[in-house]
This record gives sequence, structure tokens and C-alpha cells, in this order.
Amino acid sequence: MFDLNFLLAGDYRDWLLSGLLLSLQLMGITLLLSLPLACGVAMLRLAPSRLLNGLGAAYVELIRNVPLLAHFLFWYFGAPELLPDAWKERLYAGNIEAVSAVTALTLYTAAYMAEDIRSGIRAIPAQQFEAGRALGLSFLATMRLCIVPQALRLAAPPLLSQTLNLWQNTSIATVIGVAELMYQTQRVEAASFRSVEAFVFASVAYLAVSLAIAGLAAWLQRKVA
Amino acid sequence: MQTRLHFAALLFTSIAFTQVAQADQLAAIKAKGELVCGTLGTDEPNSFIDAKSRQLVGYEVDLCRAIAQGLGVKPVIKQLAVAARIPELQQGRIDILTASLTHNKEREALIDFSLSTFYTGQRVLVKKSSNITTVAGLAGKKVLTVKGGTQEPNIRKAVPGVDVVTFETAGQAYLGLQQGKGVGYVDDEVSLLNNYAKLGAAQKDYIVLPQNISQEVFAFGIRKGETGVKTAVDQVLRGLEKSGEAEKLFFKWYGPTSNVKFQKRTFKIESDKIDA
Repeated sequence: MFDLNFLLAGDYRDWLLSGLLLSLQLMGITLLLSLPLACGVAMLRLAPSRLLNGLGAAYVELIRNVPLLAHFLFWYFGAPELLPDAWKERLYAGNIEAVSAVTALTLYTAAYMAEDIRSGIRAIPAQQFEAGRALGLSFLATMRLCIVPQALRLAAPPLLSQTLNLWQNTSIATVIGVAELMYQTQRVEAASFRSVEAFVFASVAYLAVSLAIAGLAAWLQRKVA
Repeated sequence: MQTRLHFAALLFTSIAFTQVAQADQLAAIKAKGELVCGTLGTDEPNSFIDAKSRQLVGYEVDLCRAIAQGLGVKPVIKQLAVAARIPELQQGRIDILTASLTHNKEREALIDFSLSTFYTGQRVLVKKSSNITTVAGLAGKKVLTVKGGTQEPNIRKAVPGVDVVTFETAGQAYLGLQQGKGVGYVDDEVSLLNNYAKLGAAQKDYIVLPQNISQEVFAFGIRKGETGVKTAVDQVLRGLEKSGEAEKLFFKWYGPTSNVKFQKRTFKIESDKIDA
């Protein structure tokens, strides 16, 4: 009964591979956008201002306490509707599904990554920061030149573990019609009724990429420690 | 001794289980006193949640109740996602599928079908501002529909080069059209006309494209090889047709007083054959 061969030829293979490629792209683009955003949020939380601390904390709490599925539906069906008509038309003429998915994933992932970066920064002895300020560097310059480069190294393993979460979270984009791996898997299942084979393929693909990320994390941990 | 006893117990239970598995599903339905019908609940007027009573109602829900009554058991209605219909039936979590299910050749290899309960086509709803007036005009455009049904393969067949985006429910696809995220919304004629009717004054901004993209025959899904269930279900359906009850149900849900406003019924529940 179990027969993977039918997946490995023709349309089904093309659908699944295009889905895998789009999932990887979603992860890559989100990673590139969420890292700087996460650094920014971590700065807010550590900045010498109550207001900025509050803003950073509010962002992290707001994002982390709402399920990812709700984020996706909000950024696809909800938020774009609030834009002026002309913007909306331009946005909808493009690939609105992918834009919404990247927005939701970036904001979500950045909230978690910000906390990892913040804990990395807090692991650097406070005296280094004080020394930087005593040398006449500004808050941002001290962070940029002394603290963050060391902190990122410490934060690398947890950041990779967030990347692992991000990789799996891309699968939720199927609910807003993004043709990523899960979407294409369901499409193959609906067309062929071969549920077992379709989901085995998807599981193996997710597992393989996850293990690669986990392997990278373990390697980095050894190198850094 | 202990081991031998265990072995005997194991043997006994495995035989007992095999017998349950082999037992006629119809007898099992009668024994537990309920018929579990799997339905969508998101596809007015076939099955949907009534806004006032908060109950699942519709053409297929009424037919399920009639079949349960005919078998002398209690109806239990279970809601399913479009894509989960056939797997749920195959895995035995429901007894029959009354879920806007198209009877086609591909599915005949997996499940059996009752007499056909409804004949329809699939249509496309577009916004007037898109200037599209024929199905062929959709080539290269983005249309929205539900995941896991026959809508996606049918529109792709009817319009080569069309871009299709699918959602978990037809309601989301329809919302996407209203928001302008695609130029067309593809669905079964009845569901589509029903959604179109709900637009009210905004109807002037939309048109239902005149061509059908496919002919669809709806039937109830029955697990493969369960001839006892099929015979019993078909017998009740024939009885409903003969007594005029089936026609009454048709007009109750699709007739001039409904959103869909069909003036006449062009089919009878009498055949379980489909054209190739």
C-alpha cells in the first residue's frame, strides 16, 4: 500500500519541491528581517529610559501572548483592510499572501529573539558597559562596539533554537493561502488521497531541515563555549 | 502457566477484535443506536449553523435525520473540514458523509456512494471592476477557493494558467474576494449563489460568470464495501423520493423562498451512476 514513488515523479514532486523552496525562503527572509528588529527591541528594553523600557516590554508581551495563528489571520484578513484604498490595491496586486506571512512571522519571531539577545547582553559584566561609558562612548556606541558583539556570540545557540521554531512556524502560513510545504502537501493529499505518503514526505522534509539547524546550533555551542 | 494464560487471553482478545472489525457496519450502527453523519456546517444551504438557533441545519442535515429515522436510530451530526472528509470516513470516525461531497471517478476507488442527492455545477463570482465577463478571461488572474475540494482542480482544468489560492473554508475565500485579494471566488453553484444573495445592495458590484466550470453530482459517502449500509441508505432515499418528501426538502432549502431561489427541481434521487 505504502508507495512513495508516485510522489517522486511528475506534478506531485514539482508541487512539493516548490513548497519546500517557498518554506525555506519564508524562513530566510524572516530571519534577515527579525534579527535587526529583535536587536532594536532588546535595546529598547535596556535603554536608560523608563518609557523606552516600557515600549520594548509591551511589544514583547503583546506579541508573545497571542497565538501565532491569530497573528497570521490578523495580518492577512485584518490589518491590510485598514490601509488607504490606493495602498491596498497596490499591495493586493502583488503577492499579499507572502507579504502577510513574512510580516506575521517577523514580528512574532523578533519578540522571542529580542529576549534571547537581551539575556545575552545581560550576561556581559556590567563593568564593561560602565567602562565604555567612562571612556566617553554614548549608550548606543558602547552597545555597538563593546557589548553586542560579545552578547550575540553568547546568544547564538538560543537564537538558532528560535530559528528552529521559526522553521516549523512557517507551516502555519498555509491558512492564509501561502503555497509553502504544508499547503502543497495538503494539495497533493487532496488530489491523490495518499495521506500517509504526503505527510511522510512533509515530515521528513521538516525533520531534515530542523536537524540541520539543530546540528548547526550544537556545533556553534561547542565552538563558543 | 501464567504465560500460557496470558497467551490465551491475548488470542481471545485479538479474535474478538477481528470479529468486530469484520462485523457489518449496519449492524454496528443499529447496535449503538446512532448514525454519525459527517457534514461541513460551513456550506449554506447544505449544512450550516443557523444564526438564530445556533443549531446545525440544512438540506443534508435533514436528509441525515431522515436516514437515521429510517434506520430506527438517533442522528448524530459531526462537523468536518472539507479536506478531512474522506479520511474521516475511511478511518471510521463517522458512519456516512453528508458533506457537499462530489461523486467522481477518482473517489470511487476509495469510497462508495449512495444515490445522488443533488445535481449542480461550479461557478465563479467576480467583481465588476475587474472587467472579466467570461470564465476564459480568468487566465493569468488570481482566484480564491476552498482547500481540499474539487473546486481547485476544476478551475485549473477549465482555465489553464489561472492562479489559484485556497483557504480552509469557502467563507474565507469569499471574504478574500470582497477584500480584493483575488479577482474571482470559485465554489459550488448553490453555495456561491447563496453568498451572492447575502451581498444585498452590493450585488451590483459583482457578477456570477454565466458559464459552469464543471458539472457536479453530490452523493453521500459510504465506507468502501459496506453494502449493507449502502442498501439501507439508498432504500430510505428512494422512499423519500417516492413520498415526495425529498422534493419538499429541496424546495425548503433551495426553492423560491430561499437565498438561492431555484424555481424548479431538475433531478430525482434515483441513480448512483455518474458520467465518466
